[in-house]
Amino acid sequence: MALLELKNISKIYGELKALDNVSLHVDKGEWVAIMGPSGSGKSTMMNIIGCMDKPTRGEVLLDGVDISRESSKRLTDIRRDKIGLIFQQFHMVNYLTAVENVMVSQYYHSMPDEAEALEALGRVGLRERARHLPSQLSGGEQQRVCVARALINHPELILADEPTGNLDEANENIVLDLFRQLHREGTTLIVVTHDPEVAEAAQRTIVLEHGRIAREVVNENFVE
Amino acid sequence: MTKRRMFLRMITASLLRRRSRMLIALLSIGIGATILAGMVTIYYDVPRQMRSQMRSYGANMLLLPEDGETLDSEKLQKVLGHIGEDALVGAAPYRYVRLDMTSRQQSFTSAGTDFEQVLKTSPYFSVEGEYPANTREVLVGREIAETIGVKVGSSMELTYQPAVKATGDPAEDWTPGAVLTGSAEGFSGGAVSVTATLDDAAKIREITVDASTQTPEYGGRAQEDRLFLKQFVGKSLPLKMGEDVDALTGATVTSEAVVQALNTARAATAAAQPHTVRYDVTGILVTGGEEEGYVFMSLEDMRALTGEDRLDVAELSVSADEEQLNAYADAIAASGEGVTARLVKRVTKSETAVLGKLQALVFLVTVVVLLLTMICVSTTMMAVVSERRREIGLRKALGASDNSIRVEFLGEGMFLGLLGGVLGAILGFVFAQVVSVNVFNSSITFQPLLLPATVIVSMAIAATSCLMPIKRAVAIDPALVLKGE
Repeated sequence: MALLELKNISKIYGELKALDNVSLHVDKGEWVAIMGPSGSGKSTMMNIIGCMDKPTRGEVLLDGVDISRESSKRLTDIRRDKIGLIFQQFHMVNYLTAVENVMVSQYYHSMPDEAEALEALGRVGLRERARHLPSQLSGGEQQRVCVARALINHPELILADEPTGNLDEANENIVLDLFRQLHREGTTLIVVTHDPEVAEAAQRTIVLEHGRIAREVVNENFVE
Repeated sequence: MTKRRMFLRMITASLLRRRSRMLIALLSIGIGATILAGMVTIYYDVPRQMRSQMRSYGANMLLLPEDGETLDSEKLQKVLGHIGEDALVGAAPYRYVRLDMTSRQQSFTSAGTDFEQVLKTSPYFSVEGEYPANTREVLVGREIAETIGVKVGSSMELTYQPAVKATGDPAEDWTPGAVLTGSAEGFSGGAVSVTATLDDAAKIREITVDASTQTPEYGGRAQEDRLFLKQFVGKSLPLKMGEDVDALTGATVTSEAVVQALNTARAATAAAQPHTVRYDVTGILVTGGEEEGYVFMSLEDMRALTGEDRLDVAELSVSADEEQLNAYADAIAASGEGVTARLVKRVTKSETAVLGKLQALVFLVTVVVLLLTMICVSTTMMAVVSERRREIGLRKALGASDNSIRVEFLGEGMFLGLLGGVLGAILGFVFAQVVSVNVFNSSITFQPLLLPATVIVSMAIAATSCLMPIKRAVAIDPALVLKGE
């Protein structure tokens, strides 16, 4: 069953076609990687899937709802309820502690629950670092906090933009292991990356070039 | 944890952990609130402060006896009871008499007064030397001092002519209420004695004649003939037989004796009890005004010299606005003491005008300061918003609605307003106190209402200042901010 369906979407900025008639189908529980060089339209696609932008043409169905024509207010609601975001630059509120950063996500979603937030930090192995400010955490630790923040509201879809781009190998593996866990639990994952290793961890890789899907690779070696 | 607690936790964390930036905003609100609280305190306190300052321009109320009434120290104290104790700065009683300095053939208007009160009602009096502190000491106006050549330390003899009024008009040269007694030789050498009481206008009010030495059926009738006696009443001395009064038929000599006895008594009284006292000059009074033509002595000395406890006027310095002064005057008039209170318009009017302008100035400064505060806070919050673009974008990406962003920034702004307001109310009071002590030489009382008022105004200003920055924050696009640049 499709959680996400892009139907012939285009995003045009004046002369530039950032996305050109792209269609994509992602099932519930699937783990998809999106690859491509800079300027291939990865970020645009990510923004559209993440309800932060709308396509110029085409339809985007998320969980059966067409989000391509929704108001930005509705898009905010949908993003909050269905999507967990992870960014390359981590993006934490720098004056809030790790646990408070997780709770911010709860705050906008429903109710802040410190115990639950601590549990989520425990899951990413940062229970002990919960009271630290971002400046007191390493890059890997910050990204793990962001993973905890992304999964705290049990989203249908976790959308990660270069989640390991700023991490060393050890931390990259920790994050990928967390993704594997989430995948096993049935969470749909879409990971934008240009790191082949990260892409290989996914079930399927979509390669974008010049705003079009150049090819699609199914990972034969994928381990459940 | 409730949403509200998380909200407060985020706001306080933002303020406490991002100290430097927020300190600037807090400082600007705090300073604004300080000036506001200080100015408001001064605004409300300045009339009180200034009024007592203004009192240095002299008396603003005069107490005068009504027609046919007299004023004395006792009555003055009673009347002063109608004026609020706090409002009364001073009340200087004055008794004016004309005193002669026979050695120089000069005469001066002299005032008996209470120097302690004069210091309060006429602080602009400048004395070379000292104010009299003991009996038989006088303060001499500069004009007189120059005319007669007295200096501090010299002494002068002053003479009081009890019967003579200071008007200079012979017809009224009589002390009101004086009793004259005299006698003259009548028919066949017998003495005719007369007693006459003068009224307030120095005219004869009552007359009794003792003509028992005269022939009862002729001159003797002078002591009982109503028509004869009645013609004296209402007349001024001296009298002339045939012009002012007609002789008793058949008793011309006795009648002449009555007139002569009265005229002699008048002359005798006028010259009779001159009371001369030597005074030491302790100071020369310099005012630049008519006071320089007066000699001042204590009321006690004046009483000893004249034998009377009378006041002509009391000059009051009252710390109150025009309306309040009028209310006091009305109360005094209604008290039935026979005293009229008059406002010295020249002083009260200019006081009211100056205070009005001063208050307008303080008000204007306050408004300008508040505007500046608003600009400063607004600019700081603007900088805060640009500094936190990523954070705002992140919050939006995490699902914050535009309203959440608005409420959060407004919350931070109002929290700053609260802190700044409390800070400002306290510092503002200190500021007002310092100003008051240095400028007005008096301390002020803390107005409890000032604290909530300052806090509310600061919060309102902070909230208003946040409107533009919030508009910017809301316009931030999460996608742009989160792009990997």
